[in-house]
Amino acid sequence: MAYHSGYGAHGSKHRVRAAPDPPPLFDDTSGGYSSQPGGYPAPGAEVAFNVNHLLGDPVANVAMAYGSSIASHGKDMVHKELHRFVSVNKLKYFFAVDTAYVAKKLGLLVFPYTHQNWEVQYSRDVPLPPRQDLNAPDLYIPTMAFITYVLLAGMALGIQKRFSPEVLGLCASTALVWVVLEVLALLLGIYLATVRSDLSTFHLLAYSGYKYVGMILSVLTGLLFGSDGYYVALAWTSSALMYFIVRSFRTAALGPDSMGGPAPRQRLQLYLTLGAAAFQPLIIYWLTFHLIR
Amino acid sequence: MAFTLYSLLQAALLCVNAIAVLHEERFLKNIGWGTDQGIGGFGEEPGIKSQLMNLIRSVRTVMRGIGCLLAVPQLEGWKIPGPWGPCN
Repeated sequence: MAYHSGYGAHGSKHRVRAAPDPPPLFDDTSGGYSSQPGGYPAPGAEVAFNVNHLLGDPVANVAMAYGSSIASHGKDMVHKELHRFVSVNKLKYFFAVDTAYVAKKLGLLVFPYTHQNWEVQYSRDVPLPPRQDLNAPDLYIPTMAFITYVLLAGMALGIQKRFSPEVLGLCASTALVWVVLEVLALLLGIYLATVRSDLSTFHLLAYSGYKYVGMILSVLTGLLFGSDGYYVALAWTSSALMYFIVRSFRTAALGPDSMGGPAPRQRLQLYLTLGAAAFQPLIIYWLTFHLIR
Repeated sequence: MAFTLYSLLQAALLCVNAIAVLHEERFLKNIGWGTDQGIGGFGEEPGIKSQLMNLIRSVRTVMRGIGCLLAVPQLEGWKIPGPWGPCN
């Protein structure tokens, strides 16, 4: 709002100065533009108005209006294309978190042994968002943990004087690629074992992303307490994460269909869960050991 | 192993291609994995082997259609602009 009044004052000064000189080539229609509120089709008309006061040149005004309408059209097109691939509503469910949930979930990831009830709660067939249900997976923690891990890796490399910007990008993309590979492997396993569950791709992405928290803790302890601290933290976070994954997948796979299905399928489900859990310490070690020397 | 996103795409393409080139008549029938040999019962559980056979057949169908177009950038050696990594 302060901006608007500043530029408005400028514009009026500009017009007062231009009024005594008769404009030789163009008619001064800037006053005419500002008096037509509905003249622009773009929703960015407010922005176009404020900048018009600044320029006062009719050709630039037309260009500005054209540009803003093109921009809004492009934005609509991008939204439409994005909606075809990623359902934004489903994605919003995973980011509906609050501070209390994040704190409790982080505590659960580090110490899951005393948690009693692992069921995801529903309300009328719709799963509750993470704000209201501690057991619901979310994508906020994995995203933030991934970014923190990349920054921490950069810092660890810098402390050892091995830092360069390319290494940072490589570290980030390596971690991302391993998570994507794990999600694809889990999807393949779920398809082959015909597990009927509510686990969508985003759920698997969330559960795979929780390992970044373990990685951060291991690297941090390694930086503070040296190599021994790193291995202790690695063992602790790995076992906590393995317990967490096994309990979560068991309730997720058995939850909607409490009978469990025939015996071979249950065995396959069990193997899948155990395989996913066993993979976690390996990947945590693989992605962090080169940061601790 | 330091991965870049581009190497992930390359690896995925090679794996999918490896599944797609398994010949139905010359090879899969001889080891009993042909798609007309497996669809026995219409019971509840398809079983892992029939799921695998279905997957192989679907991959082959998809690769013959869209997949060939997706493989063209890799085969032609096009450089895709962006932060994909040192070995683009």
